[in-house]
Amino acid sequence: MSAPQINVSDVASLARLTLTPEETAKFSSQIGQILSHMDSLKQIETGNVPEVTPPAQPNLRKDEPTPSLSLQSVLSNAPAQANDLIVVPKIVE
Amino acid sequence: MSLAHESIASLRRRLASKEIHSRDIVRDLLQQIDAREKTIHAYTHLDREAALAAADKANSSLPLGGIPIAIKDNLNVLGDPCTCASKILEGYKAPYDATAIARLRQAGAVLLGRTNMDEFAMGSSTENSALGITRNPWDSSRIPGGSSGGSAAAVGGRIALAALGSDTGGSIRQPAALCGCVGLKPTYGRISRYGLVAFASSLDQIGPLTRTVEDSAILLSALAGHDPHDNTTDLRKPETFLTEKSGSVKGLRVGIPKEYFIPGMDAETEAAVRQSADWFKKNGATLVDVSLPHTPSAIAVYYILATAEASANLARFDGVRYGRRAADPRDVLDLYHRTRSEGFGPEVKRRIILGTFVLSAGYTDAYYRKAQKVRGMIRQDFEKAFASCDLLLTPTSPEPAFKLGERTQDPLKMYLADVFTISVNLAGNPAISLPCGFTKSNLPIGLQLIGPRFGEEKILQAAHAYEQGHDWHQRLPPA
Repeated sequence: MSAPQINVSDVASLARLTLTPEETAKFSSQIGQILSHMDSLKQIETGNVPEVTPPAQPNLRKDEPTPSLSLQSVLSNAPAQANDLIVVPKIVE
Repeated sequence: MSLAHESIASLRRRLASKEIHSRDIVRDLLQQIDAREKTIHAYTHLDREAALAAADKANSSLPLGGIPIAIKDNLNVLGDPCTCASKILEGYKAPYDATAIARLRQAGAVLLGRTNMDEFAMGSSTENSALGITRNPWDSSRIPGGSSGGSAAAVGGRIALAALGSDTGGSIRQPAALCGCVGLKPTYGRISRYGLVAFASSLDQIGPLTRTVEDSAILLSALAGHDPHDNTTDLRKPETFLTEKSGSVKGLRVGIPKEYFIPGMDAETEAAVRQSADWFKKNGATLVDVSLPHTPSAIAVYYILATAEASANLARFDGVRYGRRAADPRDVLDLYHRTRSEGFGPEVKRRIILGTFVLSAGYTDAYYRKAQKVRGMIRQDFEKAFASCDLLLTPTSPEPAFKLGERTQDPLKMYLADVFTISVNLAGNPAISLPCGFTKSNLPIGLQLIGPRFGEEKILQAAHAYEQGHDWHQRLPPA
């Protein structure tokens, strides 16, 4: 079965990844092979079989505030911070 | 004999009677680590002084009081690194304890060190670690399995008494089989994943790797139970497993699924597993031929669903809030792209791309939704099989440990190593792998017992009875 067409660089970009030309070439061939294997599912007659969906959640806890991590411990891992805020490059011009 | 060779069950008794102290166990383990870790490289992080200090404070009246446990490096342990064997989590220190870790602490355990893994638990050989490979303690030219390869190599190599792992498609059971230890993947919902770095949330489950089945039950008893922080955990009351050991398999109906004995599987593995089935029969169990007809589709289903979920879960690693951040980003998109491209290794990138593709416009019906339907059929297969038997007996892996480097260039071939373990994750059932023999070249072989959902007690009883009738678990790897 022929491998489905996939533009690996475009898909990578959707996932915020930039690939080197070597990675693009390698992944294109490997992912093509993997998708060919996955295409075997097309042969399976699924008819009216329901999709598995996330379980209904009967165990939801009440939406009540409870103690959580301190601001300091949350910020302790931030690569850049100032005034108790995480610093990122400017988003809005 | 070094205390490092004993089981948790035996050490608990000796600790409780004050015959030994927790520090003695940690000291003996550190000695073993000094002798073997250079070859095996099971650990990514080990704070000797902290372990000894925790041992000094241990309360031996608690269920795991003073027992050292190693932890896979994808579980948050307050103040420790949690690398997931990835460059992208460089510098990260956990600001909280995972629920599984909090429960170990409540039970009195001493946390020993962090174990190596495939990056973000993606792999079957631990070769996808950014922190170096781990070697199989039985043959250092071979892989330990994965992704919990560090945990399995540590326990199999006698440089940990027990370890926690995580299992999304076989990542506890397959390395346990390849390293000669016991690995349990509990029922989906049995143990809270709060604080486990998520890979594929509809499949991930935490579980123990131990020397014996009894030790597995001891750890499961400490870890299991509802947690408001993980809403998928089951609400039933906490259980203690294997408190009474039947020691018998008489009357047990053992299902043998024909799809788990396939052409091309290793002959010695097949022979050892069939001999194990014969042992059950000789000891009063009935063997029942069953069929799980959708088994051949499981790999395709798994690698669609697991990568789809991973592509969403790993979106959080963007260089903003924690971990690595690319230097001097031009703008925010550049920050995302460069942080992720520099931080993730090849297998993680491959899976994110695959997962993004199967969820992309125009392909979701053909891949993602189709896979969810076939997943439903795989679940039905198990439900039907359990109508005529109490548990299923299969090989854990189609072959013993393969050579380092043998499959790193062929991801599809690597994925096929999971063929006997992933259906269990797709169905949500519990399964245990335990040693059932050795190849002529002295490589461990694993037997898998699969139970109905929340049927851990059943598989632990059967596995314990089998273990009592054999001495595979007492063999030591070469020095």
